[in-house]
Amino acid sequence: MQPDTNAIPIDPCKHCGTEAPVDVHFCPRCDRLLTLGRHGDYFTFFGLRRRLRLDVKDLEQRFRALSRLFHPDYFHNAAPAERLASLERSSYLNDAFRTLRDPMARLEYLLKLEGFTPKESRDATTKVPQGLLEEVFELNEELEAIQEMRAAGESAAAVALRLSAARRPIEANLARHEEQLDALMSAHDARLEAGDAEGRHEALIALRTLLLERTYLLNLLATVRREAGAGEAAAS
Amino acid sequence: MSKVVGIDLGTTNSLVAFVNGGAPAVIPDESGDTLLPSIVSVDEAGTVYVGREAQRRLLTDAARTVYSVKRFMGRGIEDVRGEERWFPFKVSGEAGGVVRIHLGGRQLTPPEISGFILRELKRRAEAFFTREGDFDPEAAAAVITVPAYFNDAQRTATRDAGRLAGLEVLRIINEPTAACLAYGLDKRHQGRIAVYDFGGGTFDISILRLEDGVFQVLSTNGDTHLGGDDIDRLLVQMVADDLGLDPAAQAEAVQAVRKAVIQSKWDLSEFDETHIEVAGLPGRAEPYRRRITRADFEALIAPIVARTLEPCRRALEDAGLKAAQIDEAVLVGGSTRIPMVRREVERLFGRKPHTDLNPDEVVAIGAAVQADILVSGRREMLLLDVTPLSLGIETMGGIVSKIILRNSTIPASGSEMFTTFVDSQTAVDIHILQGEREMAADNRSLGRFKLRGIPPMPAGLPRIQVRFQIDANGILSVSAHELRTGIEQAIEVKPSYGLTDEEVERMLIESFEHAQEDVDARMLIEFRNEAETIIAATEKTLRRPDFTEIAASLLKPEEVALIQAALADLKQSMGASDRNVIQVKTAALNQATHHLAEVMMNWTVQAALAGRTADDVAAKGR
Repeated sequence: MQPDTNAIPIDPCKHCGTEAPVDVHFCPRCDRLLTLGRHGDYFTFFGLRRRLRLDVKDLEQRFRALSRLFHPDYFHNAAPAERLASLERSSYLNDAFRTLRDPMARLEYLLKLEGFTPKESRDATTKVPQGLLEEVFELNEELEAIQEMRAAGESAAAVALRLSAARRPIEANLARHEEQLDALMSAHDARLEAGDAEGRHEALIALRTLLLERTYLLNLLATVRREAGAGEAAAS
Repeated sequence: MSKVVGIDLGTTNSLVAFVNGGAPAVIPDESGDTLLPSIVSVDEAGTVYVGREAQRRLLTDAARTVYSVKRFMGRGIEDVRGEERWFPFKVSGEAGGVVRIHLGGRQLTPPEISGFILRELKRRAEAFFTREGDFDPEAAAAVITVPAYFNDAQRTATRDAGRLAGLEVLRIINEPTAACLAYGLDKRHQGRIAVYDFGGGTFDISILRLEDGVFQVLSTNGDTHLGGDDIDRLLVQMVADDLGLDPAAQAEAVQAVRKAVIQSKWDLSEFDETHIEVAGLPGRAEPYRRRITRADFEALIAPIVARTLEPCRRALEDAGLKAAQIDEAVLVGGSTRIPMVRREVERLFGRKPHTDLNPDEVVAIGAAVQADILVSGRREMLLLDVTPLSLGIETMGGIVSKIILRNSTIPASGSEMFTTFVDSQTAVDIHILQGEREMAADNRSLGRFKLRGIPPMPAGLPRIQVRFQIDANGILSVSAHELRTGIEQAIEVKPSYGLTDEEVERMLIESFEHAQEDVDARMLIEFRNEAETIIAATEKTLRRPDFTEIAASLLKPEEVALIQAALADLKQSMGASDRNVIQVKTAALNQATHHLAEVMMNWTVQAALAGRTADDVAAKGR
């Protein structure tokens, strides 16, 4: 979904017709729960800026407070429009909380929200990111060698040892990525606070690349794990 | 004002509870019983019996009596293959359709049978409110509990059962969550709580977090086909093999065995050994008798107990927690009375589980609390539950595309875009599934629907957004619209294992009247209930491993003979239709066991005191 940055979307209250920005939860005039608009985003819904480093405790508290405002339990005897509003707003809240609670899901969401929907994301599992070409090449060679070892009847222990050795550089690289992501997220937030739009844009581009690479590294680790699993299955 | 009650519709027993002036309590029937056996029987005249009378009819008219109907809710015939042979009633149904249960000349669906149980609970509640002098005793609406791991079809079947019983179902809530609600009532409890709920037919594990009065479920897992029933079946099988019983031909005998093994299962939670005793078996003059120790029993049930542990580990993993991070473990359900179950739970979570709440009543209490929240609108407490299974749709190649992930807090929603493959295509078939497996065929089919009325356009051009909404009951609804034209699609989901609204309507009209309103018949049933209670209590005492020792030192020799005679006499008269006969013989047995009851009470107190003294000594010695 592309954010509409120019217009402030307005949805009228179904009960009294008063217009209010979508992320105002209750009608300013008649105090009824408002229907959820089609625009808006998870951050504003929680009353938060688009920061990548969130205080999870604070987020949880906001989540509980908002749940207490519009959970369907409390609109049991309300008019149908308000009941529906409660259902929709609660669903949206739950989706928003699940996304923002997890740092990586939060980053992915922000990238999408800011229009960084990477076309590559669909290919993330198949196409090798530029920065990882060498690594992937080496791992593939190593996995082939391991398969040959197994075919040649080498002991399971020897195969397992070599597999865990193959994991190590990937794990180290993954750890480096997480560190860099961490640092860049802080940098992004600092630029957001400073009103440095250009710097923020650069940070997001770099974050997108790192995120894609991280996803790819996780998939590589899963491949190694599968290989280890295949070994165990063959051994038993 | 009419009342909203909380109902625990259990596999073995059902209960109804109510919050009165802030204090929740289970509602007893006229003779003080809180548990209603979830058993329904229909006699030749079409009279429907629910509860203990139906339970007795298992021994005399098994083919017209249904128990454990909850195991059939929202299921197809293919789900119950292999176990149906141990049930006295016949089941049928088309592949992929709802199960039908044969009762006499009728075929009833599981929601109809559960509806009879709910109607009896409604009647029980209303009789109670009337006795209390309430001006408006009607119990018009209810919160009903279901196993957390129930899928959409099973939840919908439960809601239909409520409608058939004339109850407005305000909310379906999960049993472990309800138990936690009852447990956390006093607000002393904060932190992470594991609720281990092992009942008659289902097993659930839920991990919750309690903070500021919000009960947030972090994850849930379980098995909707694992419970005390499975333990009973192992024991029945063991005895049936001894006796060479054929379950198909000797349904009543199998039920007599079942009753006896359940009794010995209960005994073994208290004693190290007991006897399984079955009298009156066809072709046997002597009663069947077999000694069973707790060690034998544990060896037999170990695989079943082990099957509960894997879901626990998965739930912990989904919650992102280690067992050591759980602050408290709570036990719910009758099967948690088994010492081996308690031991295993303690080992898994590394702490002694709470057993201070009555595991039979705690779920109904929680349902009543939730009913009170809904009616009063009070906001101190809030329950946030999750959907137990992922929801998805079938895509190309039979692969599932997940739209709402398991353990998502509900209400939850998700949407998916569809388009057409052929020019001017105006309809698309959509198959909804629930489960975690990758291939559609390995998951639960919830239903299929056809998206119609798509404006004719070149292939791939229409953009149809289908929206899936899971409400706070965990029940799904679907809506769709074509984004280019804004046309809203009418969607009618044909449920895979459920009833259509029309079918429910028809059953409502067809449902035959409860004929139990006859006062005389009801009185007779109450006397029988009372007689049965004292028979069970007396037999339990006589079976105690230490009874011979107690009798030798504390009872007169002729006393035991007198008790046995009175017991046999009362058992003989149970079938009588004259309630006075039963009443007189019950009084006689009561009289004969009066001294015995005193002796047993003293014996228990002495034993408890002796135990405490030993502990004190040990504590001081440390």
